[in-house]
Amino acid sequence: MSPHFKFRKSDDEFLLDESVHRGGRPTRSPLGDPEHLCHRIIVLVFMCFLGFGSYFCYDNPAALQKQVIKDMRLNTSGFMQLYAWYSWPNVFLCFVGGFLLDRVFGIRLGTIIFSLFVCGGQVIFALGALVDRVWLMELGRFVFGIGGESLAVAQNTYAVNWFKGKELNLVFGLQLSMARVGSTVNMNIMGWVYKQVKTTLGHAGPTTLGTALMIAASTCLLSLLCALVLAFLDKRAEKILDKEQGKSGEVIKLRDVKDFPVQLWLIFFICVGYYVAIFPFIGLGQVFFIEKFNFTPTQASAVNSIVYILSAPASPVLGLLVDKTGKNITWVLCAVVTTLLAHMMLAFTFWNPWIAMVILGMSYSLLACALWPMVAFVVPEHQLGTAYGFMQSIQNLGLALISMAAGVIVDRRGYLFLEVFFCFCLACSQHLESTHAHLCFSLCPGGELNISASSRAKQQKATSVESE
Amino acid sequence: MSTSKARCCVALLLIFGCANALMGNGNFRRKVSLELNPGLKPPSTAPPGVSLLHVRAVGGDDTLHVLLCSLEAPAVLLVHTNSTESSLRVDWAAFLRGNYTGSVQVAPKSSVQYSSALVFTRVWEYDDVNNTADMQDLPVSSFLPPYELRDFTWDNLNETVDYTHHTALLCGRHNTSSFSNGSLCLRFSAFDSEGREEEWPSLLHNADSCQLRLCLDRVTPRANQSRFGLELQAVSEEGFQASVDVHRSIDDEYTPSIFQVSQWLSPPANSTPSSTQGYIQWKAVAYRKSKPVLEDATPCRHSQPLDLPQAPPSGLVLAYFSKQASTRGLNLSFSMAGDASYSSTNFLSWTVLVGTGAPPADFFSLLVIAIMAVGLGTPLALILVGGVYVYIQKRRQDSSAYESIN
Repeated sequence: MSPHFKFRKSDDEFLLDESVHRGGRPTRSPLGDPEHLCHRIIVLVFMCFLGFGSYFCYDNPAALQKQVIKDMRLNTSGFMQLYAWYSWPNVFLCFVGGFLLDRVFGIRLGTIIFSLFVCGGQVIFALGALVDRVWLMELGRFVFGIGGESLAVAQNTYAVNWFKGKELNLVFGLQLSMARVGSTVNMNIMGWVYKQVKTTLGHAGPTTLGTALMIAASTCLLSLLCALVLAFLDKRAEKILDKEQGKSGEVIKLRDVKDFPVQLWLIFFICVGYYVAIFPFIGLGQVFFIEKFNFTPTQASAVNSIVYILSAPASPVLGLLVDKTGKNITWVLCAVVTTLLAHMMLAFTFWNPWIAMVILGMSYSLLACALWPMVAFVVPEHQLGTAYGFMQSIQNLGLALISMAAGVIVDRRGYLFLEVFFCFCLACSQHLESTHAHLCFSLCPGGELNISASSRAKQQKATSVESE
Repeated sequence: MSTSKARCCVALLLIFGCANALMGNGNFRRKVSLELNPGLKPPSTAPPGVSLLHVRAVGGDDTLHVLLCSLEAPAVLLVHTNSTESSLRVDWAAFLRGNYTGSVQVAPKSSVQYSSALVFTRVWEYDDVNNTADMQDLPVSSFLPPYELRDFTWDNLNETVDYTHHTALLCGRHNTSSFSNGSLCLRFSAFDSEGREEEWPSLLHNADSCQLRLCLDRVTPRANQSRFGLELQAVSEEGFQASVDVHRSIDDEYTPSIFQVSQWLSPPANSTPSSTQGYIQWKAVAYRKSKPVLEDATPCRHSQPLDLPQAPPSGLVLAYFSKQASTRGLNLSFSMAGDASYSSTNFLSWTVLVGTGAPPADFFSLLVIAIMAVGLGTPLALILVGGVYVYIQKRRQDSSAYESIN
């Protein structure tokens, strides 16, 4: 059975498909009615804050880099270990997390468990600082990582469950924006928190650091709270809408992975090809702007961070745009091409890098809104967690490898070569995306992925009429 | 000042790349031979510390003579002649006695097209208390007495000349305790064809140029925050320009993270003939370790060239040039504000290329061009092919639609 066909079957059992269960239920207030926009907005708020804690705490070490190095008597590479302990296990663990989400826990319990991991991890991390043990801090980061990345997978799955066919792209945009807000708030507030703790305790040291990190852990508690509320709301919606009845009863098996549709694999590799040209570049960007464009270090870090800063306000707006117009494939193609242009500008011209970086920021946001929701159109609902987990795993692997390669390239061949390398990655990504588009058009003309919003709505109406 | 190279778009770039690869003059070769102390016949020998290395590089219809000399301040002299028969004549008795004038000549004199010399005259040392690394804005009190290179004791070249690879190493010391373990060395290389050295900054050289790498190794600093600078003097009959051109280049593949090339051209822009006859070229970088990684790179800055009333203290320059030759000098300073001082690594190296004709310009390596061509070319081709295909399909569908109506 083609995955597309499979999906359409499950489309009419979709949780919030307004036309499915129209008759015979008591009317509820808009806030309490799971089918109503107002209710979805409430859900959206909790969904956004679900990830806030993990995004906030992820960058705690960076915000307190000097303090951590001084208080724990680390060198830079020892400090970088705190990030390595987060990211390397996740090359594999996201996939496991996503699979467990689909197969064992279910979305509600899974989200709560991952939130607990995040909380626990951050508490261990803070404890490690309090008792002055670096290995305990590393363990904390490891536990935090298990929760954090899988929580992102859960967040994506929740988003699809509630918003598919509605404001899905906007929701993905908002989640990206929330991630950015989380790390920006962290960067700006943690130094201040540390200073306050230092004044209260009267001295700097591991205790001060530990206390500050404990305070940061409160954001994880907030996220845990959101997970609990979301579980409640989801359960409630299920009851009200009799979602259980429509379920196909299918569960994912590990060997389903090899039967993932070609389009999904293409999406995975587009994702890798794209993100490796963003994150490792920003990691190395500051020195590049100083050397090539004669920026001062302050200017350089400002232009370097514009991509993330811009994505906070831009991604919801762009998400809305994609929602209104549909045509995800076209938007992804557009994002990849503009990113390629931005990189070429940086590589081959001396134009003010603000131009290129603003373009980069916009296209980065656009891609996040348009690419991630596409997964929901090519895999059936019961495989979503696994698919998102896999995507995240592959992305983590790609980033880890390419970051190392990028460092070596700069050391040996310089920045021009690095830029050319990134252009090549993007070109591959673009190439895959055109293949993807071609596949979608030829396999299923009028398929889900690139239809406009209006025809998507029409199609949905038609299928729901059929089901009635 | 900055180039317009920046504005080339990719298409042009690829075309230029191919053109460059196909028609570049990279295969121009000279026959290079080295001779130490030419014309000095035993039993007479040069006094210790005085060497004159003569590089004769014969091309199709011309000869480039390059001389490296350690009599007083170390100097390199380039003489370009339009004959394959031109030869160097040294009156050793007069030259060594200090009776310089006319004691070094290239004959026949009428064949000489262009000659210029680069002399390393001084090493500055200053106490960078404010950590600004800016030699020009420093109070005079921060400067320690400079090391005059004319006072250095130079090693004999005969132990370091490599006749097959056309290189030589000239090392010298000042007779103070600062140089008891340290030295100032000039690594000289002559070239028979285009290429670049493995070592950074990997300047592109050609058969009309020679390269000097200056290394300041294990010199004991005389202040806590010591930094070093360098004074250079350039001499030619026609003179050097009153400013150094700084070209920005988008290409840093050969010298990672360095996007600037400095060129000091000769003769001045307003003179005749107007085309460049000689140049001194360097990249705005020095390295703080002998086997550098990227973090050991430190920027290098130069002052505006100044007219100098007298010739530099180099036996070679005084012996070759007439009184009419003009001399200009400039200072180089290394590292930037906030950088660690010299004592952090006790090493500094800086490389310069001296040549005749137009200075060599970097271009994208074939690898970069190939990656860009494959990376951008393939999707572009696919889009074109796909577009044509869709168009044809559409035409076909349209026409069949019309038929069915009829």
